[in-house]
Amino acid sequence: MALNVVVCLKQIPNPDLQFQISTDGKDIRRDSLNYKLNAADEYALEEAVRIKEKHGGRVVALTLGPKRTEQMLREALAKGADEAVRIAYDDPSAFDVGKNARILAAAIRTLPHDLVLTGVQSDDYVNSATGGLLAGILGLPHASVVTRVVVQERQLEVACELEGGLQRVYSIPLPALLTIQFGANTPRYAPLPAIMKAARQPIKELAPSALGLNGWDAVALPYSFGVRGLSPPAAKGHAEMITGSVEEQAKRLAQVLRDKGFVRR
Amino acid sequence: MSGGVLLIAEHLEGRVAPSTPELITTGRRLAAAFGGDERDARIVVLGSGVRDLANHLAGYTLDVLLVDHPALAEYTGDGYVQALRGIVESTAPRVVLVAHTSQGYDFAPALAGAMDLPLVTNCLALDVEGDRLIATRRLLNEKVQAQVEIRSERPIVVTVRPGAEKPVGPARGTMTVTDVPVSIDPSAVREKFVRLERPQVQDIDLSGADIIVSAGRGIQKKENLVLIEEFAKAIGGVVGASRPLTDMDWLPKTRQVGQSGKTVRPKLYVACGISGAMQHVAGMKDAGLIVAINTDPTAPIFEIAHVGFVADVLKLLPATLKELKR
Ligand SMILES: Cc1cc2nc3c(=O)[nH]c(=O)nc-3n(C[C@H](O)[C@H](O)[C@H](O)COP(=O)(O)OP(=O)(O)OC[C@H]3O[C@@H](n4cnc5c(N)ncnc54)[C@H](O)[C@@H]3O)c2cc1C
Ligand SMILES: Nc1ncnc2c1ncn2[C@@H]1O[C@H](COP(=O)(O)O)[C@@H](O)[C@H]1O
Repeated sequence: MALNVVVCLKQIPNPDLQFQISTDGKDIRRDSLNYKLNAADEYALEEAVRIKEKHGGRVVALTLGPKRTEQMLREALAKGADEAVRIAYDDPSAFDVGKNARILAAAIRTLPHDLVLTGVQSDDYVNSATGGLLAGILGLPHASVVTRVVVQERQLEVACELEGGLQRVYSIPLPALLTIQFGANTPRYAPLPAIMKAARQPIKELAPSALGLNGWDAVALPYSFGVRGLSPPAAKGHAEMITGSVEEQAKRLAQVLRDKGFVRR
Repeated sequence: MSGGVLLIAEHLEGRVAPSTPELITTGRRLAAAFGGDERDARIVVLGSGVRDLANHLAGYTLDVLLVDHPALAEYTGDGYVQALRGIVESTAPRVVLVAHTSQGYDFAPALAGAMDLPLVTNCLALDVEGDRLIATRRLLNEKVQAQVEIRSERPIVVTVRPGAEKPVGPARGTMTVTDVPVSIDPSAVREKFVRLERPQVQDIDLSGADIIVSAGRGIQKKENLVLIEEFAKAIGGVVGASRPLTDMDWLPKTRQVGQSGKTVRPKLYVACGISGAMQHVAGMKDAGLIVAINTDPTAPIFEIAHVGFVADVLKLLPATLKELKR
């Protein structure tokens, strides 16, 4: 049974970097960041492609973000997505997850979807909210933190991870939405010919009008949202920081271990 | 009755989740911040055959709203959203508080989506200023703090990160448990619970270890685990890991420390090339002595470490081994 899968992908600044706050205090400085595909979304994409390879169907990679996200979408095409769609929402920060989800939901309504996949969390904003919001807005049954998906006709069997390594297994009818957890599979690398091909593939752009909106400010929201400010986290840090050469640090570490009685002598 | 705070209790197999007493602390404070009494926070218990649990929670001196219904015997997103929809409509709270757990972030956003409510998740702290709710959150692997504000006529759905607040204990004097009649259509609960799977216990049990040396993605290659093992052996410890390493099968799942793995409380925890994501920290923050080794001085692991080394773990450990042999 062929499935239409929509997978939501987010491009995020590499969180291994160090960050500075912009002068107005409302965003991070974005002039020299390098961006990448959100880690959990790599697993969501891989899951989508595997489902298509096994059961037939199509995978549409969907993002909401500025022009720079095209590079990520091409990566998704190279890894097996059939079509890439960018919602041309150019706010570089897009902090309001509720607004983003309402726009994403409007776009998903225009796409055939038996299954919608998201990652379990975006590593930049760590909301773990987009998937659930989409399910609620679209009226789809859903499951979160999914580590295993088995497609059985018009049903899915999914394992959802809880705290402490417990998993709850559910059976869910299609159409459905799942948020995919890290480690659910082993994401593939894109083969070179596919990368070349993806570079030439068109990326569909959705403007507000395509979603029946008079601009992105016309999204109906039951609230007003504002960023008051970003700051470096208040250093609760009580760590005694040891600097110096590796040899000096090693001496210090050995001494700490001896002083606290973790090694004899 | 309207206004105040509703907080949704979490429980599994007859036991209240550790995040619920924390949520009670947050709920009381928030109810007071809205200009009311801290008793304006009420606990919602959803389940089947959970009256004892509801009575127990009433001992935390907040009123409890109980929905005891066979369709809620096992957690499902649809079941919770259906049950809560009626309660949220009839009680019209300012805020619906939910713990930011796997279960919490399954239904809280779905509830917000289904009822068209505002939502802010994974909050560390909440404040009220006039008609605005101010939420403090962390972004980008804990490296940036953000304050956002939401103003709404509608109840705001909020999830709170476990560990952000001290739990309250039960107090003297018990409050009331009120049964809330809710009609739930079981056929409209589309997620069907099949079974609960428990982690297989094999390998070693990290939770009993006194000394744990844990490796993270910063060790770069599987081959470098030998170094971690050698170091652990030298100080009489066992090897643990962050999740990416067990996901990649470099180590068995039993070695994973953190929210979805083991919670450990050793006398010594050495974090080697671990960034300190909240899900990892949740499993080891109570260790007696935390030593962190990381090349990134802004890594959040240094926030909870007692001794921090900004260093390449692949260089520092061999050098330390040499020192120890002296
Ligand atoms: C629902 C859920 C549950 C989760 N449960 C868990 C869990 O139980 N346990 C868990 O660990 N994670 C869990 N995670 C994943 C968690 O969010 C992080 O992704 C993970 O902890 C990161 O592991 P890490 O620190 O090893 O890797 P990274 O975050 O990639 O950090 C690697 C670190 O190594 C440093 N480094 C690089 N090279 C060197 C070097 N040569 N020497 C020293 N330092 C170096 C880097 O500066 C960086 O700080 C969970 C996630 C979700 C969404
Ligand atoms: N701007 C976006 N475009 C596409 N997908 C997104 C976007 N933001 C979030 N998502 C999806 O929602 C998941 C959870 O993100 P979050 O709710 O921000 O933690 C991500 O892993 C993505 O799959």
